[in-house]
Amino acid sequence: MKRTLPISKRGLNFETIMWFFTRLSALAMYGFIIIGMIGALVMGARMNMNFADVMRWAFMSNSTHVQSTNIPDIAPWANAFWRLVASGFLLVASAHGVHGLVVIADDYLVKPLQRNVVRLLSIVMLVSIGLIGLYVIWTA
Amino acid sequence: MEVTLKVFRFNPDVDKKWRYETYKLEADPTDRVLDLLERVKGYTDGSLAFRRSCAHGVCGSDALRINGKNSLACKALVRDYGEKITVEPIMGLKVIKDLIVDMKPFFDNYKKILPFFINDSPLPADGKERRQSIEQRERFDDTTKCILCACCTTSCPSFWASDDYLGPAAMVTAHRFIFDSRDESASERLHILSETSGIARCHTVFNCTMACPREIQITKAIGELKLAMVTGNLE
Repeated sequence: MKRTLPISKRGLNFETIMWFFTRLSALAMYGFIIIGMIGALVMGARMNMNFADVMRWAFMSNSTHVQSTNIPDIAPWANAFWRLVASGFLLVASAHGVHGLVVIADDYLVKPLQRNVVRLLSIVMLVSIGLIGLYVIWTA
Repeated sequence: MEVTLKVFRFNPDVDKKWRYETYKLEADPTDRVLDLLERVKGYTDGSLAFRRSCAHGVCGSDALRINGKNSLACKALVRDYGEKITVEPIMGLKVIKDLIVDMKPFFDNYKKILPFFINDSPLPADGKERRQSIEQRERFDDTTKCILCACCTTSCPSFWASDDYLGPAAMVTAHRFIFDSRDESASERLHILSETSGIARCHTVFNCTMACPREIQITKAIGELKLAMVTGNLE
C-alpha cells in the first residue's frame, strides 16, 4: 500500500507555501531572463548592444533601459508584451527577495510581535516596490 | 610528538569572563583528544570539566568543537589535528562550566518532534509483530544511527541565531519515524515541522552533514522531509 498524505494532513501553512514559492519563483526568474535575452538578440543585440545593455534588458525589458544603444528603432519594443514580461519579473523577483529578507529576519527574531512587525514592514516594502515599478514600466 | 592543547575555560563561580588555558602534552598520533583531556584532568588540573561516558563514539556525550569543527572527542585522533589543538564547547548552547553546555534547549526541541513510535491500530491477526520489508526498513536506516550528540544542531547557523529552531537532530528523528512504514503519526510530525521555527529555518548550509560523527546524510534527510511536505509521498 502506497503511503501518501493528502494536502490537508501535511501541515501546509504559510512557511511551507512560501518555501515552495521561493523555489518556483527562482525558476520563473530564469525563464524571464531567458525570454529577455532572446528578445534582445531578436532586437539586434549582437551588433548594436554591449553586454551591460543586454543585461539591463534581460532583467527588466523596459525600453528606456536600452535608449543609448545603437538599436535603430526602440519604439516597437515598448509594447504590452514586453511590459508584461517586465512586470512579471518585477513582481516575482521582489516577492522572492522580500521573502528572503523575512526568512533571514525570522532566524534572529523569535518573538511573535517582532516577527509580525518585520512582516508588516516587508509587505509595505513589497507593495511600494511593486507599485513604483509598475508605474515606471507602464508609463515610460 | 608534543601537542599544545588550548582549552576553553569558564568557571561561573570565579570567572567573570571565559578564557583559554594552554597545556603542553606528550602524545601519540593515535591518541584521541579525549585522552589528552583526561590526562589534563587527571594529572595537571582536576578542575577541568567536560562530559564523557562510553568513550567509544556511541553515547554522544563528548561532542566538542575541536579546531573549529564539531566532533566527538573520543573519535578525534591527534594525528588528524596536528600539534596545535584548540578545544571549545559546542556553540549555540549556554556554557555551564568549561566544556560543559546546557543541553536543555536541544532536548526540548528533540521532544517536540514526538521521538517515539506511534501506532494505535490493532495488532496483526497473528497478534505478534508489525511486519516490514527489507526495503521499507532500508528507507529510514540512515537516520536510525543518530546518537543525539548535538554535533549537527550546534554547527547550524540557524540554531546559533535562535535555539527556538528545531535543529537538524530533531529533524533526523522526524525522518526516522515519518518514513517508517509502521508509524502512524507522520501527519502530526509534518505539522510540527511546518511551524515557523521548523523546517523553513533550514537554509541547506550542510554544516550538519559535515559535523555528524555517525556520517548521517542529514541535509539529504531534511530535503526528503521538505519533499514529503510538498508531495505528501512517504515512500
